[in-house]
Amino acid sequence: MRKVGKPVVFVIVAIIIVFTTLAFFGISTSYGDITTTYIKGVDDIRWGIDIRGGVDVTFTPPEGYDATPDEMAAAESIIKVRLVSQNITDYETYVDEAKDRIIVRFPWKEGETDFNPEQAVKELGETALLTFRENQSGPVVIEGKHVKSASAEPSPDGRGSQVKLELTGEGAELFSDATGRLIGQQISIWMDDTMISAPRVDSQIPGGVAYITGGAQGFDVKEAKALADRINGGALPFKLETENFSTISPTLGFGARDAMVTAGVIAFILVAIFIIIMYRMCGVVASIALVGQVAGMIACLTGFFAPFPSFTLTLPGIAGIILSIGMGVDANVITSERIKEELRNGKTLDGAIDSGFQRTFSAIFDGNITMVIVAIILMGAFGPPQSVFNSLLSPIFRWFGPSATGAIYSFGFTLIVGVIFNFIMGVTASRLMLKSVSKFKPFKKPWLFGGAK
Amino acid sequence: MKQVDIVGRRKIWFSISSALIVLIIVASFVLGVKLDIQFSGGTIITYTFTGQADKASFEKTVEDSLGQPVTLREQYDVNTGLPNYIITLTNKSGITPDQQIAVNEALQAQFPENHVDAASISNVDPTIGRDFFLKSVVAVLAASILMIIYIAFRFRKMNGWSAGVIAVMALLHDLIIAYGAFVICGFPLNDSFIAVMLTILGYSINNTIIVYDRVRENRRLLPAKTTYKDLVNVSVNQSMTRSINTTVSTVIAVGCVCAMSLIYHVNSILTFSLPLLVGMFAGFFSSIFISGPLWAFWQEHKRVQKSSS
Repeated sequence: MRKVGKPVVFVIVAIIIVFTTLAFFGISTSYGDITTTYIKGVDDIRWGIDIRGGVDVTFTPPEGYDATPDEMAAAESIIKVRLVSQNITDYETYVDEAKDRIIVRFPWKEGETDFNPEQAVKELGETALLTFRENQSGPVVIEGKHVKSASAEPSPDGRGSQVKLELTGEGAELFSDATGRLIGQQISIWMDDTMISAPRVDSQIPGGVAYITGGAQGFDVKEAKALADRINGGALPFKLETENFSTISPTLGFGARDAMVTAGVIAFILVAIFIIIMYRMCGVVASIALVGQVAGMIACLTGFFAPFPSFTLTLPGIAGIILSIGMGVDANVITSERIKEELRNGKTLDGAIDSGFQRTFSAIFDGNITMVIVAIILMGAFGPPQSVFNSLLSPIFRWFGPSATGAIYSFGFTLIVGVIFNFIMGVTASRLMLKSVSKFKPFKKPWLFGGAK
Repeated sequence: MKQVDIVGRRKIWFSISSALIVLIIVASFVLGVKLDIQFSGGTIITYTFTGQADKASFEKTVEDSLGQPVTLREQYDVNTGLPNYIITLTNKSGITPDQQIAVNEALQAQFPENHVDAASISNVDPTIGRDFFLKSVVAVLAASILMIIYIAFRFRKMNGWSAGVIAVMALLHDLIIAYGAFVICGFPLNDSFIAVMLTILGYSINNTIIVYDRVRENRRLLPAKTTYKDLVNVSVNQSMTRSINTTVSTVIAVGCVCAMSLIYHVNSILTFSLPLLVGMFAGFFSSIFISGPLWAFWQEHKRVQKSSS
């Protein structure tokens, strides 16, 4: 850190400008109607359902029924099939096997004005009607009640997986009859009004045990498991009940979001003015670093850093970004105060900047560590099952089931990325910029950095 | 630089804090503490409509359809500027989607001209609410324990356990004041409350650590015969500018959020940002006016005891 050349400040400012532009606007090309997005911008942020409207439901088996993990997986697969059949593809489902709960979240359908969420919720939880039909849509051969169980297993010839179907006594008879008649034709399997598979009958199947082989290649393991789950879903002995449901219309949320974004812009401007007045050159540098910090947080939300996925942003999440703007300045305040003091004690400008950063690092580190602890707890407690921090903290929180709300999770996330970018921008980038700026003659005046005039 | 005698006026600071805490405890009993339906279970439905709809008749339609008493509250919409009716069910057990559909249909039949629509529904089963509440309590406890471990580690070399204990007390003070904001404003306790508590937990401790860091540093720099009172006064005054400036910038940020959510009726964020703002003021106050003076008082007391025995 001893030698920092003059051009460094330009390089860093240029990097921050480019990064900020990319993080906010992204890169996408339009060719006719096809838009290809290379880098996602703010328009691609996934808003939480508290903003764009949507439904949040928790389903559970009837009281007193202790469902097995297989049954829960089957129930989840019914819900997924139904969501897709209603053209809802942007859903999230979480299963909690300990508490027998399935949490489903899905946004309002785009452009839909008279979407009836209560009806949608009701339909999702209804008992699934599983039917096996002759050919694509012929008469019903057997129903869900005739299926004892379905399971995925490796194919005996080693090519992929297959689904093993076990039928009840009555089912076996009906099935034997039908397969006898339909050799060379198809038997289609339907859940409600959605066809989920249409295997061809190779030979009569008399014993009540059938295999769906998935053609010459077989299924892959996941496909076989999914099909088995769906068939089991049709044979579930219980109906799902809604334990919780909440719906929010999109008109409420977008207004709130716009208000919060305005709050963020105002907060940023006021904080920047405040630190520039208080710390002159250090304040200018801090403001530039703050731009980089906000851009970094946005980039984390949009999925800019390729291997890390995008992240849902909720109203508390936006509040977290704004809070990070306020708290992020702390690093610059601490160092600027120190630089001022060192200058007052008669150090040279260069020496003051160096020791200002060196002596305050532990204090800044301390401050950020406590926020990291808090953010991890927030994400662990309020995050969806299977997320990183949730798994990490599951020894503590597993007894309480998954959370009924996803809004606070986003707050924890913005806090933690705020801290990370505070180290990159508020500490490292600020230091490099200040050192480099102090090399320029017009700026080589201690009073610009808080010293006496 | 002008020195402000903060330690000397400690009685004033301690009285302010004690008075506030007593006020909050009294308010908790007098006003009562409300739990959000997230924790207690229950149902809240927000209806939008156009034109005029009679409140009493609206309420009665819902009650008749559900067969249970409800309360109705009026609120203005952020976007449309039109009034909304907010229905709260007194019964905690929640309703089924079927019942919800029936209520909507009854309202649409009763007020055919008004385009009545359920803009948001929030329905929580009491068992899920209780689980969520316990989980939140555990989250706060876990964070507190981690923070105490952190403080113990941080203060081990510095000022000994007396400073650590005072830091925890100051933290508790800030949490109580932030909680007081919920009680006095009548905000129900929900997941925002937990988020506020945890944020204050992480934020406040830093102000105190900065002050104690100075105390440790000055102990080496100042002559050995400096009294605890002077030592703390010098240290607090030195870290004052930093504390003020950091607090100002966080308060600007949270204040903007608070103001916008107040203007645009974004209730979920108002109930979150206002107590946070209060907690931040409390954090500033306790780090400057409570933790330092209390530590000086403790040390003096110990010295007096030692010399008299």
